[in-house]
This record gives sequence, structure tokens and C-alpha cells, in this order.
Amino acid sequence: MTNNEELYKVDELNLLDCKKIHFTHEKSGFLTLEYEGKTYHKTDPTRLIPFFSKTTYISLSYESEEQEFREIGVIKDMADLDEEQYNLLDSFLKYKYFMPEILKVYNIRDNMQGSIFVKSLTTSGEKTICVKDWYQNFRMLSDNYLYVNDADGNKYFCEDIHKLDKKSLAVLEMFT
Amino acid sequence: MKLILKLPPDNDEGIVYSLPFGFTESGDKCDGIFAVTDKDICIYIDGKIEEVYKISDFTEFYVRRGVGTSMIQGKSANGEVIGLCGFTQDLFPRYGEVAKLLSHYIRTGELIRDTGADEPVCPKCGMPLEGSSECVFCKSKTSTMLRLVKMILPYRKSFIIALVCTVLSQSILVTYPYLDRLLIDKYVTPKNEHLAGIILIALSMIGLRLIEGVFNYFNMKHSFKVSLNIGRNIRESVFRKSQQLSMNAISRRTAGELINRISNDAAKLEDFITANGKDAIVDIFSVLVIGGLLFAMNPKLALMAVLPIPFVLMLSKKLHEIMAVNYTRVWKYSTHHGELLHDILNGIRVVKTYGSEKREAVRYNDCSEKLARMNIRAETIWYMTMPFSWFLITAGNYFVLYFGGKSVLGETMSLGQLVQFTTYVSMLYGPLSWFIYIPRTFADASVSAGKIFEILDERSDIMDNEDSREIDINGDIEFSDVSFGYKAYDPVLKEISCKIKKGEMIGIVGHSGVGKSTMINLIMRLYDCTEGEISIDGVPIKNIAQNSLRSQIGVVLQETFLFDGSVYDNIAYADPTASFEDIIRAAKTANAHDFIVKLPDGYNTKVGNKGFQLSGGERQRIAIARAILRDPKILILDEATASLDTRTEKQIQQALDRLTEGRTTIAIAHRLSTLSNADRLFVLDKGRLAETGTHKELMSQKGVYYKLVMAQRETTKMRSAV
Repeated sequence: MTNNEELYKVDELNLLDCKKIHFTHEKSGFLTLEYEGKTYHKTDPTRLIPFFSKTTYISLSYESEEQEFREIGVIKDMADLDEEQYNLLDSFLKYKYFMPEILKVYNIRDNMQGSIFVKSLTTSGEKTICVKDWYQNFRMLSDNYLYVNDADGNKYFCEDIHKLDKKSLAVLEMFT
Repeated sequence: MKLILKLPPDNDEGIVYSLPFGFTESGDKCDGIFAVTDKDICIYIDGKIEEVYKISDFTEFYVRRGVGTSMIQGKSANGEVIGLCGFTQDLFPRYGEVAKLLSHYIRTGELIRDTGADEPVCPKCGMPLEGSSECVFCKSKTSTMLRLVKMILPYRKSFIIALVCTVLSQSILVTYPYLDRLLIDKYVTPKNEHLAGIILIALSMIGLRLIEGVFNYFNMKHSFKVSLNIGRNIRESVFRKSQQLSMNAISRRTAGELINRISNDAAKLEDFITANGKDAIVDIFSVLVIGGLLFAMNPKLALMAVLPIPFVLMLSKKLHEIMAVNYTRVWKYSTHHGELLHDILNGIRVVKTYGSEKREAVRYNDCSEKLARMNIRAETIWYMTMPFSWFLITAGNYFVLYFGGKSVLGETMSLGQLVQFTTYVSMLYGPLSWFIYIPRTFADASVSAGKIFEILDERSDIMDNEDSREIDINGDIEFSDVSFGYKAYDPVLKEISCKIKKGEMIGIVGHSGVGKSTMINLIMRLYDCTEGEISIDGVPIKNIAQNSLRSQIGVVLQETFLFDGSVYDNIAYADPTASFEDIIRAAKTANAHDFIVKLPDGYNTKVGNKGFQLSGGERQRIAIARAILRDPKILILDEATASLDTRTEKQIQQALDRLTEGRTTIAIAHRLSTLSNADRLFVLDKGRLAETGTHKELMSQKGVYYKLVMAQRETTKMRSAV
């Protein structure tokens, strides 16, 4: 592959044809992609707009032998994949972007030193989420979307806080 | 760090490390245990052994950080990567440590079993204590406030004068109702026309007012002295600390946020300490004195007057909680507002170039509106609850008037006594109302105090140790097995070992992000290496006082920063004691003198906070002059000529050649041709030192450097073709 070709590829947004995509799991934990007769090992799918869409604009990339980033292309909409392929990719992304959803907020305690303790019910059970520098890590990404990054680096979200029960919303109101 | 958290159910023999995990290597959720013995890695899922790997089959282990989860992986002898298990981020540091220890085991045959205890954490919030005896996040608010009060100590003399003057002026106030009572009972009610007595009372009142005025003058004079000095001390402490913090700590905060803490938060504390600190003492004193007088005059009526106070105190506590949250939100939006303003004004050239003034105005208005909304909200809550609290606190007055009025009619109390009593009650409610304001001021101040102390209490990652000493640097530098990552688990530089001799010029080359700038950051000790050691003239840099080290290193960066001041100030920044002749000599050596002469005010030309009036090449030459004046033993050139045209580059190159003469020089450049006069080149690849040698030697090796040169030639050709 010459440099000319590489430069050309870097410039190009390559939207992948979902009908030609075939993923398989590999031992490394990544996926192997077969596409248009080529096989790409250690394929790493990435949500390009993780907060706004979980199944559209998925970039597929791998590391070259020189350990350099190489993008194979972008899946515009995972819905165009067949069911088996969709499930395989979806389960990988759900693992990579594992982020419990906040279902209820019982109370929030503020220690007045930048940290808050959010007692909540999440899809991973009841938790007291400790958020350091909460004005940075407990924030609304839009009018509805709450994004939480706890002291350990675990992430939580609530897609629409207005769909929570009244009590949770009242508790959240003071902090959002 | 504790590396045995959960043992396998049936077998804990010979287990060295054992950690839980929540995902299989293919990303399926599970309840698993990752257990390590001296030979094997056992993967348990749902209590049953699922997979056993031999440690000897691997050459290296590492953790790969994902977004919501991470994975521990092993590299087998044939280069195959095997995912072992996935886990949530709270386990990341432990798995990172296990991977490091396993790799060490493979490399050296030494299996470290004693991994020590966990870093002490706060029992309340679980955050690391980081050397403090008390968690900075869970410290009681009282201790924060006490710390604030302690700031008064250096100015206790002035504070006591202000306090005594206030107490005395308050004591004078207590005499006025007594004079009123005398006037009513002795002259008004009995219609006594004895003028001398009335004049005597009037003169007493005027005299007392004058004395009160004198006390007030001294009170204000000393209050301001305390207030302004404390404010200055806080600002200076925060600024000094922000200068001492490591690059790591600094980069966690934006400039706008630091500015907000140094100016706004310090001003709030300044206000709080003087106004409220003194008021608190005076108000408590007033409550005790007036309360004592009331009980002495009529205990029954006095009890009625103070009846609502416990309710007010309870309400006050609740209000504090509500107001604290609201003021924190105001703080958050205010900081964001400051950051945005800083951001837009700093990037004003980009804004103008893209013609996006209107868009930025909308963005600013939006932010400003949100801040206003938050402020309105906080103030609305306050002013909605305040009248109710005020009503509650003064409710006793109605009882006093009713029962006191009845006593006057029943002639068990004189009118003058009732007037004196009700005046005292009103005077009691004044200081008591302070208790209503406590939530507001306390909340606002404790938010700011928290922000200030967070910076003051932060432990710098880079500190001089007890053995640190000042040395005269010759210029020999040695890297011994140095590894470093901005995040310890993600190394940017791996096992770098090399020697640089005094006076040698070394060029560091490699792809973007390969760790070139990191290498020089480590030499300047802006960061400490994670593993290995860097020494200068045989002394580990951790044992060289930071000030001594950096004062002997000169740096010329790609983006030259000129401080707001004259050309003279900017060159003299390197050595404020330098004579004007030294400065001219430095400017001449840097090829800067000729263009400075042409400037309207010569060396006194103001160059603005970013040197806007000067071209990139001119700014760069001032930076070189600055470095020359410093006369460094080690010189670092980080892309010093990257953004210049060929003609200017030539002039700069000449200046640099003069500057590098006889000094140990380390230069980074993407344009490889600019390193043609380097004695040796260090080629970094994937964080490792891949090749070293002269340009000729490296070209003949046809390795990484050769590829870099070829790729650059190709790009140059393509550019010429376009």
C-alpha cells in the first residue's frame, strides 16, 4: 500500500455496506471483521456519537502492524445488518460502553466540598454513586440527558430525566 | 494495594491474587473470579472453573481501558492477544497492578506476593485520603469555618479593637431606651415642665451619639484593615499554591476556574470573615446583654419575646441545606460563565476569522441567562422564606405588646417601662435576625471556602524530597529504564535507556504522540517517571531541587508566550538582574536586535499579552534571546522552528546554532531537515527508543527513521506537485 493510497483513504468517509459485513468473536476480546474479501483482526467498533445514538454511525477500526490506528469504515445504521450480526455487534458495544441507567434517585447528599453521593436505583441495582467534582461529572448533556461519571471512572446515564418519577425529578432538580 | 478481594469458592490454596469480574472475554455479563497462582491463571464463572491459562505461555500482560469497562489481556509467545476477562472501572487500578506484577514475574521470575494494604480511604465516602489525616471532602463544615476564623489571628489586634469598638457602640445603644423611659415617665406622662431635666437628657443623647460615632470610626478602620489583609492573604496563598501544583494538577482545571477561585471565591471569604465573623461575636454579645436586661425587667414578658427562637433555629438549619445547594449551582454556573468568557476572548482571533461573532454572542447570552436564572432562583427561594422567618422571629413582640399593654392599663407597669421593654425586644430581634441570614451567608461562604481549601490542601505530585540539593549542572543526562504514562496504567514511554553527553546535540524524532515532548517534560521534571530513573551528572533528578534544576534548563517552544510588557521585560524575564547590555547582547545573538531597533519604542515597545504586534519569527527570536540570557546548561528546543517560513527559519537557525554551542541540547522537530546538525538522533517508536545514531547511520539501517524520512520526502514531493 503506497502513501498515496493511505492519504486518499484517510480523506475518505467510507460508509460500509452492511450486507457485506461479517463479524466473529476472537479470543482477544475484539471482533474479526470480514468485508469485501478482506479480514480485519482485532476490529474495535466505536460509537461516534455515543450520547445521541447507540446504533448509528459506528466506526470500525483496527491497529495496523505498526500499531497505528486504521479506520475500515463507518456503519451508518446498525439496523441494516442482519439479525445475527446486529446482535453480535450490539452486545460488543453494550459491553464496551457498559453504563448502568439510572432508574430512580432516592437522595443526593452534598458534602459541600465538591462531592455528591447519589443514592439511586440503576439497571445494575441500588448504588450510592460518589461523584467527585460534581459540577463537571454530574451534568446534563442536553435538556433531558443526564451523564454521570463517578470517582472510579464508572459511567451512568439517564436518557430523559423527565421520565423519572416526581420524587426523583425533585431530587435531581437541585443538582442539574 | 489489596489484590485478593474475592476467593474462588472451593479452592484458595496457593492463590496469590484473586479479583472479581463482571464480564467474560467476549463481553457477556457474568459473575466471575480471576485467580492467580504461581503457575496458572484460573477463570471462574458462577463458582465453577471455566478456563486455566499457564502464566509461562505469556510474554506480557496489560489492561486495556474501554469506555464503561476494561479488559485484562495477555500476549502469548507467538504474539497472539488473549482476552482474559472484563471488569468495571472501579476494579481498574487493581487489575492494572496485577497485570504489572504478572509481567514483572515473567520478566524476572520474581512473584511479588506482598502487595501491601490499600491506600487509606475515608470511611465515610471511600475517597483516598492521599496523606491527609482527614478526608478533605467529608471534613465537617465547622472545621472549615474554624480554619477561616484562624485566618484572623495575624490581625487579632485590629480585630479586637474593631470588636471592642463595636461592643461599646452597641452598649451605648442600650442606654437610649433607658433615656426614653426617663423622658416618658418623668416628664411626658406627669406633664412635668422642668426644662433643665429635659435638656440634660437631650444633651446626654447628643453626647452618646458623638461617642458612638467615634467608636464606629475606629471599628470601620480596623475592620477594613483585617478584611483587606485577609483577602490579600487568601488570594496570595491560592495563587502561590497554583504555581506550585504539578502540571498534572494544573491541567485538571481550566484557567477560568483558577481565576474564579483566586478572585471571586477569595473576595467572598474576605467578606464573610470580617463582616460575619465580627458580627457573629457582636450579635451573640447583644443577645446576651439585651436578653439579660429583658429578664431582669420582666421575666414573664421576656419569655414570651424569646419563645419563637427555637423554631427559628430549626428553620434556619433546613434553610441552610436548601440554600447551600442553590449557591453551589450559582457557583457552578458562575465558573462556567468565567470559563466561557475566558475561552471566547482568548480565541477572539479564531472567532473573527470565522466570522462567528454572532454565534459566540448567542452562546454567551445563553450562558449568562442561565447564570442569571440560577441567581434569581437562589434569591427567590431566599426572599420567599425570609419574610416568614422574620414573622416567626418577631411573633413574640405581639404577645409583649398585648400583655405589656394590659400591665400598663392595670398600672403594674409604667408606659416608659413598656416603651423601654419593647425597644429592647426590637433590639433583640436585630441580632436574632442574623440567625436567619446565617444559612445564606454560611452556604455561600462554605462553597467558596471549599473551593479555596481544595486547592490549598492539594498535595503536589512533584515535590522536593529531604535530600534534594542544588547542583551546578554540567550537562550529562542519563535515562535508566524509564517508563512513564500520564495515566500510570497507560505508558507513553516504555523502558527508555540512553545517555546524553555534555555539549552533545540530540534530535528526538518519531510520529506524533510517540512521547517526544514527554521525554523533555521528564527531564524538566514537570512529571515524575513511573518507573526507572533520570539522572543529570550522575545525580537522580528527584534529588535535585526543582528550582536549581529548572533554573539551568532553557526552553524554546513552538508556541512562544510573551508576557504583557515590553520587549525588554520579556527578555529580562530569564534573569531580572541582567544589565541592559547583557540584554542587547542576548538579542543580537538571537538575531532579534535588528528588528527590535526598528520598533517604534525600541526595547520599550509593549508586546501585549500575546505579542500580537510581532510576527511569529520575531516572537520566536525574543524567546531565543530570553533563553540565551538564562545561559542554560541544558537547552531544549521543542519544535522551535516548526511554524516559520524558510527565510525566517534560516535566521532562527543561525541564532539557535549560536545558542546551542557548547551546551547539551535536545531538539524535537517534525521537519527532519532541521535536525541535520544533530550529533545523534533518538528515534522513538511506539513509546520505545527504537534507534539511535547519526542521520547517515540511521538511513543505512533502513529502519523506522528511514521510513520517516521517506514518508516526509513523499509528502514534500506531493506538496510541490500541488
